[in-house]
Amino acid sequence: MKLEEIRKKIDKIDRELLVLLQERMGMALRSKKFKANVTDPNREEAVLTRAERLNLDLVERSFTRQLLKTIIEESKRLQEEDRKLVAFQGEHGAYGEVAARLLMPGGAFIPCLEFVDVFRGVEEGYLDLGVVPVENSLEGAVTQVNDLLTSTNLKVIGEARILVKHCLLATEATDYREIRLVYSHPQALAQCRNFLMRNNLEARPFYDTAGAAKMLARENPRAAAAISSRLCAELYDLEIIKEGIEDGPANTTRFLLLAREPFEGNGEKTSIIFATPHEAGRLYAVLRLFAENNINLTRIASMPLRSDPSNYCFFLDFEGSQKDEKAADVLKKMEKLTISLKILGSYPAHTEVPK
Amino acid sequence: MKNLKLAAGEIGQKTVVRVGNIEIGRQFVVIAGPCGVETEEQTLETARAVKAAGADMLRGGAFKPRTSPYSFQGLGLRGLKILEKAREETGLPIVTEVIDPRDVSWVSEFADILQIGTRNMQNYTLLKEVGRSDRPVLLKRGMYSTLEEWLNCAEYILSEGNPNVILCERGIRTFEKYTRNTLDLSAVPSIKELTHLPIIVDPTHGTGRISLIGPMSLAAVAAGADGMIIEVHNNPKAALSDADQALTPQMFAELMKRVKPLKAFMEKLPE
Repeated sequence: MKLEEIRKKIDKIDRELLVLLQERMGMALRSKKFKANVTDPNREEAVLTRAERLNLDLVERSFTRQLLKTIIEESKRLQEEDRKLVAFQGEHGAYGEVAARLLMPGGAFIPCLEFVDVFRGVEEGYLDLGVVPVENSLEGAVTQVNDLLTSTNLKVIGEARILVKHCLLATEATDYREIRLVYSHPQALAQCRNFLMRNNLEARPFYDTAGAAKMLARENPRAAAAISSRLCAELYDLEIIKEGIEDGPANTTRFLLLAREPFEGNGEKTSIIFATPHEAGRLYAVLRLFAENNINLTRIASMPLRSDPSNYCFFLDFEGSQKDEKAADVLKKMEKLTISLKILGSYPAHTEVPK
Repeated sequence: MKNLKLAAGEIGQKTVVRVGNIEIGRQFVVIAGPCGVETEEQTLETARAVKAAGADMLRGGAFKPRTSPYSFQGLGLRGLKILEKAREETGLPIVTEVIDPRDVSWVSEFADILQIGTRNMQNYTLLKEVGRSDRPVLLKRGMYSTLEEWLNCAEYILSEGNPNVILCERGIRTFEKYTRNTLDLSAVPSIKELTHLPIIVDPTHGTGRISLIGPMSLAAVAAGADGMIIEVHNNPKAALSDADQALTPQMFAELMKRVKPLKAFMEKLPE
C-alpha cells in the first residue's frame, strides 16, 4: 500500500467516525427527555468500563476512557443547552431537515425512520416539534402524512415551502469523469433521468436521498455519486459536481411544523380537515360559506376516509386566522354542515419564493 | 471541394444557430470575456462589464490548452461552476472550450456553446464527441489550416448529427512576426461562398496586439462576419494567460460604440 492510499483510508475512517459521532450526539439529546438530571454517574461509569473491556491492542485502555469521557462531557454540554428537538423523517440532510432548519433555526434536528415516528415522538413528548411534508408540486399529496394528520391531536404552527433542487454529490477524491453509478431515492433518480442518460450514468435505487449521501461519505465506493440536497454536501463533506440536475422545472415541497400546543399569535393561514354526510350539495354548502365571506382557499384535497372508505375527508387551507371574525363565523356554521371538523391550526404563512 | 456533403451550401442557404434568444447567423453576435476563468470575482466582474457594454455572450476557459505544461492549465470543474454563476447573474450564455473527449458531456451541462480551439481543430476523436452533443459548437480555424481542412473538420461534427456549427477565423501562421497571427479576413466571404455555416472573427488572437483589435473588429464587420469573439479582462496586467492582448472593460465598451453603428450602416448598403 502506498502512502497516498493509506491516507485515503485514514480520511475515510475519520469521516465515518464523525458521522457516527453526530448520530451519538443526537441520541444523547433524545435521552435527555427521559431523565430528570443531565448527569447520571452510574450510567457514565457503565459506558466507560464496558468500552474498556474491549481488548483492542492498539487502543490503550486509558486512551479509551479519556476519549469517551470527552465525548460524554460534550453530550452533557449539548443536553444542557435549551435546544428544541425538531424531528423530521429521513437521514440527516433530507429535504425534511432543510425545512426544519428554515422553520426552527438553532434547533437540534432529529432524524426519524418513519413519518409515524415523528408524530408519535412529538405527541408523547419525547420530541418537541415535528416537520412533515404535506404536498409536492409535481407528485401531489403525501398520503401517509395526510392520513396521520386526520388522527393526530398535534397542531400546525408553521409551514415552509422548499425548492427541491437535486445536486450530484461525490467525495472530494472522486474525479467526476470516473463516475459511473449514481445512488438515490427512486423518485429523485426518476426526476433526473435525462441528466443521467446524457452523462452515461447508471441509476442505483437507494432507500433515501440523504441516506445515499451518507453512504458515500462512509463507504466511499469507487466511481459513485449520489443525488441529494445541497445540505448533504455540507453535512457529509461531499463536493457538489452539479446543482439543479432535475430534468423538469424544479419542484417544491410544502412542509408543516407540528407542535403539541397551538401557535400563540393569530397566524395568517389556517388548515382544517372535515368530512360531510354523503348527500347531494353538502360539500358545495361548505365551500359556499368561504366564497360568500370572501375567504381565499389555498389548498383543497380529498382523501378516502380510513374508517369509511366509501366516504371522503377534505383537507382545506385558507387565508386568514381562525380568530378572525369572519373565519370564526364560517367555522361555527361548518360544524352543523359536517360530520367531522378538525382545526389543525392557524400559523404564519410562508409566502417567500423558495430559492 | 470534395466530401463536404453537409458543410457545403447553395448560394443563399444559411444556417442559423439559436442559443436562447440569440440567433447566430441572423444577428451580429458579440462574445466577450476573459481568456481563462481565474477567480469568481474576476469572472463575475468581467461578465458584468461586458454585459453592460452590450456583449451577447460570455467567453471564458476552464480547460486551457497551453503551449507549456507548466503554464496555468485552467480551473476545470471549479471554473465551469464559476461560469454557471456568471450566467445566473448576468443572463449571458456561456462559450467555453473543451479539450478532452471525456469532458464533453460534463462541459455540456454547464456551457451553452462548446468551443474547439485552434490546437484541437483536427482532433477527430474530440470532433466526433462534440458532434454527438446537443450543444452548438464554435469551431476555431487551425492556425496552420486551409479552408478545406477546416470545413472537413466541420463536416466531422455535422456528420455525427450536430447541425449547429459556428466557424471562427482566428488568424493563421505566416512569416510575419509583428502580429501574433495573420488575421485572414478573406476567409469570411470565402467561407460564405463555400458553406451555409455562420462565421465569426477573433481579432484578439488574430492580431495579438491591443492596438490592432479595434481596427480589425471593424474590418470584420465590413467583411460580413456574423459576429466576433474578444478577450476582455477586468485587470489585464494580472491575467494568468494572454495578459498582453486582453482589452480592459473600458476599451471594450469604446469598441462596441463603434461596432454597432458600423453594423447598422453596412446593413443599409445596397447589395
